[in-house]
Amino acid sequence: MIQLTNFTNTILTDIDFYIEDGENLIILGSNGAGKSTLAKVLCGITNSDSLTIFNKKSMELSAKERAEFINYIPPKLEMFDEYISLREYLELSKLYSTLSIEDVLELLDLKALEHKPCISLSSGEQQLTMLASSILHNAKLTIFDEPTANLDPKKTLKVSKILLSDKIQNRIIITHDLNLAYKLGYKILYMENGKIEFFDNNRKFFEDSNLKKFFGSSLKRLDNYFVVNL
Amino acid sequence: MKYIFIILSILLLAVAPFFGQIEITLSKINDLASIDYKLFWDLRLPRVVVAFFTGALLGLSGLIFQSLFRNPMSTPFTLGVASGATLGTAFAIVFGLVSYIAFFGFAGALLTIVILFGITSRLKAFETSTLLLVGIALSFFYSAALMILFYISDETQSYEIVRFTMGSLDVVGFNSTTPIIVVALLLLILALNYKKDLKLLLTSYENAFLKGVEVKRVNTVLLISVSIAIGVAVSITGPIGFVGLIVPHILKAIYKVSADKLLVPTFFYSGIFLVLCDLISRNLGTNSDVPIGVVTSFLGGPFFIYLLVGRKRA
Repeated sequence: MIQLTNFTNTILTDIDFYIEDGENLIILGSNGAGKSTLAKVLCGITNSDSLTIFNKKSMELSAKERAEFINYIPPKLEMFDEYISLREYLELSKLYSTLSIEDVLELLDLKALEHKPCISLSSGEQQLTMLASSILHNAKLTIFDEPTANLDPKKTLKVSKILLSDKIQNRIIITHDLNLAYKLGYKILYMENGKIEFFDNNRKFFEDSNLKKFFGSSLKRLDNYFVVNL
Repeated sequence: MKYIFIILSILLLAVAPFFGQIEITLSKINDLASIDYKLFWDLRLPRVVVAFFTGALLGLSGLIFQSLFRNPMSTPFTLGVASGATLGTAFAIVFGLVSYIAFFGFAGALLTIVILFGITSRLKAFETSTLLLVGIALSFFYSAALMILFYISDETQSYEIVRFTMGSLDVVGFNSTTPIIVVALLLLILALNYKKDLKLLLTSYENAFLKGVEVKRVNTVLLISVSIAIGVAVSITGPIGFVGLIVPHILKAIYKVSADKLLVPTFFYSGIFLVLCDLISRNLGTNSDVPIGVVTSFLGGPFFIYLLVGRKRA
């Protein structure tokens, strides 16, 4: 589905991996490890000739094909114009989904906010707006960069359920939330200092020896829940 | 409210040709033998038409630049594009190439865009503050070059350049209005064609890219088209500042909608604004018309500041 061969830039070193068709992925790693940088390479914002998406060289994709194949949801909503409303933003995002804007507004409880300018939404509301836009875009592969940051527990649960649902085709999820990573059960790619330190199945990552190796004493396991050892 | 503005504007367009140093009687404008006929059809009406379409073009250009360069200050004037066109035109005057004046104006505008583009491609993204500084630096450079042209030109030529840099809407006959009408309308059609891409660019460049917009191509097409339009406009009317800066801002403050929805209103009201300014410049009772650029700045400046301060308070 997506393959990156020997990619190196100022932040990333020798990144080499591929995901098979229909497979989902979770990317974990400390702050500044290069997760978002990697995401930007994968979605084409950072140009690279070592990327292959759905058996096509990324550089040879037309703009339309790229939009059909891959989408990236950044951690924060970027918005230059001060008057574009939530609804207008979603209208711009509707590309390949069969769902209507109404459906998605309902699904995420955003109906009451639809005419508010995007820049006046709270960070949590912006996060939901971007999730809504990713559903409407409905690319074959969507990369979510920390989709549950800024959310209260109720919304985190809601978003997690949507991330797991078939409203998203294939996904790569970048997160710091180990519980989410564990529950989703997808393959895990762990990064540190711009390098891949772990790339294997979910249960293997959550073996005690690996947790100790990557998180030291900062993390505590309680019944398959992972908490910061305060 | 919106409808009142539209009606007032159309009214203004209708009466504008009748006011000036010499009064025109409505009943005589179809009398072929009268002076009123000549005055109305050869001077006044073409002048209003040129004022309208020049204003429309400048306003629309300003809106497009502000949207693409991500900065409320960036217009073809603040970025030096208009100064480039002015310099090109002055060059044509001094070296006796007056018949190619539009071409030189356009070349000056395009050269500036090429320089600006060359610099932005070296920067990571559109770093607008740097770009704005480059624009200002270019403007200074161009005015220095313009001084040199003054220095080597003879008296008639210097006078021509001075008059040109003050901006003027003097035209004779309808034939001379054609280029500006065509260019202004073409720019409007082009902008409307790119409306959706433009709106996506107004969210963020990355988002537009992810939604399948060919960001580089759209940017290039729009910026080059604006430069051509500005080159043509400047070569005909001289540099008329401020319209492109303030009208889009004023409309944004009033309409409170995203820039893509302001394309037509900006076009229309920038035209009206310049017609109004021209009407004032022709009727101040001075011996000769006050240069149009003086009026736009005198009217626009304070009003703009008032709007900015007012918005901050709200």
